[in-house]
Amino acid sequence: MKRTTLAAIALAVTAGLGLTGCAGAAGPAEPQAAEGKTRLTVSVWNYEGTPEFKALFDGYEAANPTVDIEPVDILADDYPQKVTTMLAGGDTTDVLTMKNVIDYSRYASNGQLQEINSVVDKVGKDNLAGLDAFDIDGKYFAAPYRQDFWLLYYNKDLFKAAGIEEPKDLTWEKYTEIAKKLTTEAGGKKTYGTYHHIWRSVVQAIAAAQNGADQNSGDYGFMEDQYNTALDLQKSGTTLDFGTAKSQKTSYRTMFETGQAAMMPMGTWYTAGILQAKKDGKTNVNWGLAPLPQKNDDGKVTTFGSPTAFAVNKNATHSDEAKKFIEWAAGEEGAKAISKIGVVPALQNESVTAEYFKLDGLPTDELSKKAFAPDQTALEMPVSDKSAATDKILNQEHDLIMVGERSVSDGLAEMGKRVTSEVLGK
Amino acid sequence: MTTETITQAPAPVHSRGNRKQARRNTLIGWTFILPNFLGFLAFTLIPVVAAFALSFMEWTSFSAPKWVGLANFERMFASDSFWIALRNTLVYALGHVPLTMALALILAMLLNRKLKGIGFFRVAIFFPYITSLVAVAVVWNMLFSPDSGPINQFLGAIGIANPPGWTSSSDWAMPAVIITSVWRDMGYYMVLYLAGLQAIPTELDEAAEVDGASAWQRFWNVTIPSLRPTTFFVVVMLTVSSFKVFDLIVVMTNGGPGRSTTVLSQLIYQEGIGEGKFGYSSAISLVLFIIVLTVTVLQFKIQQRRER
Repeated sequence: MKRTTLAAIALAVTAGLGLTGCAGAAGPAEPQAAEGKTRLTVSVWNYEGTPEFKALFDGYEAANPTVDIEPVDILADDYPQKVTTMLAGGDTTDVLTMKNVIDYSRYASNGQLQEINSVVDKVGKDNLAGLDAFDIDGKYFAAPYRQDFWLLYYNKDLFKAAGIEEPKDLTWEKYTEIAKKLTTEAGGKKTYGTYHHIWRSVVQAIAAAQNGADQNSGDYGFMEDQYNTALDLQKSGTTLDFGTAKSQKTSYRTMFETGQAAMMPMGTWYTAGILQAKKDGKTNVNWGLAPLPQKNDDGKVTTFGSPTAFAVNKNATHSDEAKKFIEWAAGEEGAKAISKIGVVPALQNESVTAEYFKLDGLPTDELSKKAFAPDQTALEMPVSDKSAATDKILNQEHDLIMVGERSVSDGLAEMGKRVTSEVLGK
Repeated sequence: MTTETITQAPAPVHSRGNRKQARRNTLIGWTFILPNFLGFLAFTLIPVVAAFALSFMEWTSFSAPKWVGLANFERMFASDSFWIALRNTLVYALGHVPLTMALALILAMLLNRKLKGIGFFRVAIFFPYITSLVAVAVVWNMLFSPDSGPINQFLGAIGIANPPGWTSSSDWAMPAVIITSVWRDMGYYMVLYLAGLQAIPTELDEAAEVDGASAWQRFWNVTIPSLRPTTFFVVVMLTVSSFKVFDLIVVMTNGGPGRSTTVLSQLIYQEGIGEGKFGYSSAISLVLFIIVLTVTVLQFKIQQRRER
């Protein structure tokens, strides 16, 4: 073979590589929707493990045969980072799921989302729990379809065995007391009175909600009692040690489903998880729900939670269809569709609640029902452009207090100092 | 086709026809490099230059970048988190580089002999390097578990009353990360050292032995100097990889407890991808780049002086 031919081949290959590279960069080719259907793309996380998405999409497709919904599945842990990167690259996914309100405020204030006041008005402002979090100067850029809040899961069998009545009207003192009673060790197997997961919200968001305090304030004295409670439980061996839970990446589901913990403060999303685990025969835990323990014993229940919402991408290919989908998903039809699988919808009215408690396997005792109607649900983290940075600092200092490296007062002082200087810029 | 090409290769004679030939050869050479170079240009060189420019700007990735001069650097040098991350990065490098090097060399010496089944041992020690890093981190995390982990149970059994809290303690988290990373990397550098050892002519060692040098003297005066090129390569690679450490720390401690294991590359990720401050994180990466560059240039200079 002549050398010139060889050079020509090499050049051709190079050029080919370059060209395909360019074609790839020009944007993903639009996959073909089924004949005559509109293809609506929706960003979701962990599609397999989050059954609400499938319930909503199947329901909507059944009601609207001309629409074909395609989930854009993203790893749950990396969801906010990935969506940010997608949006920065001019991605045209139609509907963006807002995993939490911190990310929402970032996308909305950066002008990445379309205003959807008309959709919110149609669904009805008064019925949508958690809607306030999405109000930016009277404008809504997303509509919540799901509203999770925190309550107390408990193991009825372990309560019965210890001769303790159901956890009604608990204060944190009372809760600590029964948690200690429920802690047993027999035959080398330890049963903990309760399990506090390693998230900072277990201490901090509860303290903020029940003291009416602001986690972006830079002054964290209000968390002191809650930290003392958490550390007391840990020191007395009533809950799994924070360091152990963290280094072993303990699953809160395993702790509760295998009966290793008699109680567990956790969000309502977990009901769907237990129902599924029982259905699959992975657990036979006899569970009940109770309101979250309270700071005051005035009979009022204050908890915290966070709504999940759908928004329309500024660059959406099908804006009108996207709005129609959100109207359906946040509305009564969508609420019923997710109620059926144990997810708490944002739209709350009698017919939706009735649908929810029809669920097979959901505990139907009075206390469990009461747990589902808290008097007040504060936001887990305020909506602010400072929240993401504050969140990071509160997380780091939470670790140090919980592993016992810093005393509560030192830790809280350090939190305040860092948030003030690094975030609030004072 | 290839054999034909090779047999046609001309002898380098300086005539006009051959000069033309040489130019052609150069051209062919270039075309072979081109695909790789294009990739380098698009995915490394241009982003690096862009990051350099971005470090003087404020950019959230949603809007157009805004020129802010040195503001990012002022913020960085005033920030606790930056200094903590810088210190952690240096501590990690100072622990990781010498330990990995020493262990890799010892292992290479041990395994540089003709023995039945030596291949098995070499593979066994190389194995951690090709194991998934996430699996390594998760397993070591469990080994280091403060209460029920085997390491602390062992320490308790040999009479240490207060074993360290490892990843749950801000003093011991970094040593835990270093131990894990040394365990993971030493196999790879052992292979490099093995290659180096096998390139040393046996005559040198034998001559020294005949002259009455002890094993220790032969190690210091024959083996170590002969390994200098390998050692140089190992040090450079190890230093660069230590300064860039990210994945292991994210999976093992995620920078915690507190900020005790947060390193620079992780801070870059948190500030940039996590919080969308791409200008600020570019400024940090520029500093990291300068540190790595300085250390590497310094190492090259020292090596050159030694060889003179």
